[in-house]
Amino acid sequence: MAEDTEKTIKPAVSTSIFKKRWKKFKTLKRGYYSFLTIVALYLLSFILPLFIGRDALIVSYNGDLHFPIFKYYSAEFFGQDIQGEANYRLLKKQYQEEGKGNWVLMPLYPYGPNENLLNELEGNPPHPPSLEHWAGTDDRGRDVFARLAYGFNIGLSFSIIVTFFAYFMGVSIGATLGFFGGKVDFFGLRLIEIWSTLPFLYVIIIISSIIQPNFILLVFILMLFGWIGISYYIRGEFYREKARDYVSAGVSMGAKNKTLIFKHILPNSLTPVISYAPFAIVANIFSLVSLDFLGFGLPPPTPSWGQLMQQGLSNIENWWLIATPLLALFLTLLSITFIGEAIREAFDPKVYSRLR
Amino acid sequence: MSMKPENILEVRDLKVKFPVTGGLLLRKVAEVKAVDGVDLELKRGETLGLVGESGCGKSTIGKAVINILKFSSPDVDITGEVWVRADEGEIDFLKLSRHEMRKHRGFIQMIFQDPYSSLNARLTVGQIIEEPMLYHTDLSKSQRLDRVAWLLEKVGLQAEQSKRYPHEFSGGQRQRIGIARALATNPKIIVADEPVSALDVSIQAQVINLLQELQGEFDLSILFVAHDLSVVEHISSRIAVMYLGNIVELGPGKDIYHNPIHPYSRALLSAVPVPNPKKKKKDRVILTGDVPTPMNKPSGCGFRTRCPIARAECAQAAPPLEAKSEGHFAACPYVTAGEAIS
Repeated sequence: MAEDTEKTIKPAVSTSIFKKRWKKFKTLKRGYYSFLTIVALYLLSFILPLFIGRDALIVSYNGDLHFPIFKYYSAEFFGQDIQGEANYRLLKKQYQEEGKGNWVLMPLYPYGPNENLLNELEGNPPHPPSLEHWAGTDDRGRDVFARLAYGFNIGLSFSIIVTFFAYFMGVSIGATLGFFGGKVDFFGLRLIEIWSTLPFLYVIIIISSIIQPNFILLVFILMLFGWIGISYYIRGEFYREKARDYVSAGVSMGAKNKTLIFKHILPNSLTPVISYAPFAIVANIFSLVSLDFLGFGLPPPTPSWGQLMQQGLSNIENWWLIATPLLALFLTLLSITFIGEAIREAFDPKVYSRLR
Repeated sequence: MSMKPENILEVRDLKVKFPVTGGLLLRKVAEVKAVDGVDLELKRGETLGLVGESGCGKSTIGKAVINILKFSSPDVDITGEVWVRADEGEIDFLKLSRHEMRKHRGFIQMIFQDPYSSLNARLTVGQIIEEPMLYHTDLSKSQRLDRVAWLLEKVGLQAEQSKRYPHEFSGGQRQRIGIARALATNPKIIVADEPVSALDVSIQAQVINLLQELQGEFDLSILFVAHDLSVVEHISSRIAVMYLGNIVELGPGKDIYHNPIHPYSRALLSAVPVPNPKKKKKDRVILTGDVPTPMNKPSGCGFRTRCPIARAECAQAAPPLEAKSEGHFAACPYVTAGEAIS
């Protein structure tokens, strides 16, 4: 009997669909390594002040250890002859010249994103790239590399948050329409159609002309315009899954709507969410860059790629102001797109694959 | 009107109409009469086969009996009565709301046609079989797991397989899982909606035999929907033949299979292949034309447009089921048992 032989051949470990797809994802090298890189860089960017920043990690002054990275110290405190907060780069030089055994441990790249370097650099900003300033400085004498690095964290965090909330909203609305169908669906769709005709950019411009948008407000606005696409997909998925027999089986065994939605239909409807999310993240990074470029984005002096590009446009002869943010944007978007591509491939039920 | 004592399920004058909507505001423009006045009786412990070609409404009857039509198509128009002799007494399922229906769900369960879509791919087999017990029993977690293991062995699988996912099983094994899930709440009525039509012929026999074994052990009454007559003849004590939303013939399995009365049943049976190349089929009845759409049913007898013995009177009124011999009914006044149609 065919079934008896099948019964005796058992896979060692039982695999859920998710595990199978994750295994397949790992075989798609381009996407998998992009994924590792982006995740690693993103996690590192949360402890960025340890690597890139103006504050010293440790200052040893008169035998005591101080950690300026966590705490504000005035220049006077360390015996530095300037006003306000201590300048640890100058302090380091000062201690070396004094030779009293005091020392300063600076981050690897000792320049902050919002720090004006005009006092330390000769000539007028923007300064071209050099060994100290890998990507030069911008037109206010701020280090471009530091700004790019901090901008990466802000841009990606912004985009992930927007994507999360927009998808949450889109999935909820799409699921409601798809599950209840009928009149709910009919009128809900008309409302979505009306909402989707609102021009996103004009709304932003109007709002920014009244109030200065901050991080939360921008997330909120982008969320309000970002949920529509995914809600269509989820609605379709719900319609399809609802008609399948395992849902009928759920009804016939007396499951409540809540169980049907969350236990049965939703887990089977999330494929579009997972396969579109990387592209949505790409799109949202791009939206933030565009808004910053146009001057409707995050308030200055937030480090932002779009704002750097905007400077590059007004200082077109200073190539590094255009090239470096564009390169950073290009590489980020490319790797995330690779991830998205590999996820899509891993979720493709067809066995063969063109992507390696 | 109370139920006959030997019956566990009585369907009375069941009519199911699906609206066809169109236009800007989704007005009803037409309706599909999927089931057009059906009476059925399922006796305790018997298997009633329900056959007919696709689109004749047999699956709809199954879904109406188990009362899940309103969920998938909320606009459906169902009239009639579905009486069930539950432990609590006689209940008309069609009068119950979805909420009220919920507590009777354990009494009547369904086996679905497609073993690939009837199991949730995200849950393990154990979780799938356990789910009905969550709603209808107050067993503890370990008791439920014990019962899952017991059920898996009852349907010919192994208890250890409860940790696996459905995609790790073959079609026949998946259908066994579906059967185990249907039995989880100890139901007395099983609606089997073409449970073997998606399986290989060799596996079909195994699943049918399994169902027969379980029927005795669990004291089940089965409403067996199928389009394959040879399968139905094997398992059913009585067979109802459907055409275009009506039952055209109803009788004991052997009787219907060997001495069909209604012209449609005769045509249907003469289409069953004989597995012997030397034996020529004598009176092969070949129907002309197609099944009319249930959106636009012919007046009177639904079969008259394709019937070899149709006459003018057939367009007047739908013929009722009338007894042709002991326990054998047909909905045609112009034929008698044993008479050949010329």
